[in-house]
Amino acid sequence: MFDQNGLSLDQAPPVQVVFGLFLMGSLFGIIAGLSLFYYRTDIYDFSSTAAIVMTHLLALGVMMSFMLGALFQMLPVIAGVVLEAPLPKANIIRFLLFSGVTTLLLGFVYHAPFLFLFASVFLGSALLYIGGIMLIRLRKLSHHSASSKGMLFALSSLCILVLLGLYLALTHAQLAVGDYFLQARKLHYNFGLFGWMGLLIASISFQTVEMFYVTPAYPKIISHYLPMGTFLALLAMAFATVFSPAMIALFQPLLYIGLALYGLITLLRLSQRKRPLADATIWFWRTGMGSLVLSMLLLLVAYFTEADALLPSGAVLFLSFALSVLFAMLYKIIPFLTWFHLNSQGYLTTPMMHEIIHPKTAKKHFFIHFAMVVSLLLSQTASWIIFAAAALMLLSFIWIGYQIWHAHKLYRHTQENSEKFDMGMMEGVS
Amino acid sequence: MKRVTLDVRTLEHPKPLEYGIEALKNLDDQSYIYMLNRKNPIPLIRLAQEHGFQTLSHEAFEQEWHILISKNKELPLKEYLDV
Repeated sequence: MFDQNGLSLDQAPPVQVVFGLFLMGSLFGIIAGLSLFYYRTDIYDFSSTAAIVMTHLLALGVMMSFMLGALFQMLPVIAGVVLEAPLPKANIIRFLLFSGVTTLLLGFVYHAPFLFLFASVFLGSALLYIGGIMLIRLRKLSHHSASSKGMLFALSSLCILVLLGLYLALTHAQLAVGDYFLQARKLHYNFGLFGWMGLLIASISFQTVEMFYVTPAYPKIISHYLPMGTFLALLAMAFATVFSPAMIALFQPLLYIGLALYGLITLLRLSQRKRPLADATIWFWRTGMGSLVLSMLLLLVAYFTEADALLPSGAVLFLSFALSVLFAMLYKIIPFLTWFHLNSQGYLTTPMMHEIIHPKTAKKHFFIHFAMVVSLLLSQTASWIIFAAAALMLLSFIWIGYQIWHAHKLYRHTQENSEKFDMGMMEGVS
Repeated sequence: MKRVTLDVRTLEHPKPLEYGIEALKNLDDQSYIYMLNRKNPIPLIRLAQEHGFQTLSHEAFEQEWHILISKNKELPLKEYLDV
């Protein structure tokens, strides 16, 4: 988790910052599972309310909450960027994000313009505020690693994604004419999926895969140029949308090819581990990267052949990519953060990391998650399987939510019941 | 002087830190930790320094760091370096 810059003990954010956002992500995941029971296979019709609601529940409610929590944790660790007063900032973000996602979803369901206005205010202020702060702090770094540079592009994509989202929401709120609504929506999805989600995951992995799994480093052509190349392709698409729509055909396939290459390289690196012990997080990574490669291939084929029937599978596999890597990271972050904070505070009987979340717990979750992905894919041909997918999605987020809650409970219990030690003063402490 | 050797070069993060902290807790005045790591473990070093330990980090080769930590600040850690 650390680079040469290391982690200062006073730089690690309080566990409440990270766990609070993670719990909110789990809650939205539970709502997504319940919503899937209601919407069923309607979600595969991309123009339906069902698809729009599920996409925003998962991308904004689930992924955004978890990714912001992970950024609060990762920015000091990976980039040496310290956010002052992280707890008040995280509390504000949680409130605004929760209110924003809720009003946005209700806006989609009830087609009520005033709800989109509220959503714009909540989400715009939350995401531009925190995205802007992180971006500014990252830009001030004198020395950039591939990860920190990649995060810059990911956060820049987030800001553009939000601005496009505001335009769309204000059009829904009947406060904007919406001449470019369709074009903005396409760019909104591209910046969200490839620029924000794809690049953030890739940037963090450039450092964490090597550290967590003792692999060779990523080739520089990927770690140094993929984020910049993807971001430039997205910008070029944005300009092409306005000035030369025919040019979009040049850039869209590049996005698919770039991320597919990243997925293949990551799979290769995971096969080159020096200690080939396979824990659940490795399987989450492999599932995630395998899904990414397949997703990009399907989207690429669909793009050139106009075989729209492939798009739902491409979308499910992209979801599998994002969630698999997310869970892999969570099973590393949650025990580490709990253990590290307790140790740095000097508690005598700090639980070991495997006692905070047992490896078998992560393995069971992997099977639930994998079954959910398979069920979603199968439900496109046998629609009744969507109920199994919904049940598994619900179970998956209850499972991870419980792990977060349990880790926090253990943290508080240790704080309340354990004696503190001073390693410099005491002898024979075990 | 008792040497506590920790070769964590092939261990996946955060095992090196976990083992390092456990070793710190058990260290007495008559022993020192000799850790071999592929990175300079700054969190461990900062934690040790904050608790009054003496530390020495030396990069012998690329991806091979030798880290010495003692509770006794009088120990000549440089002399114990294997390289």
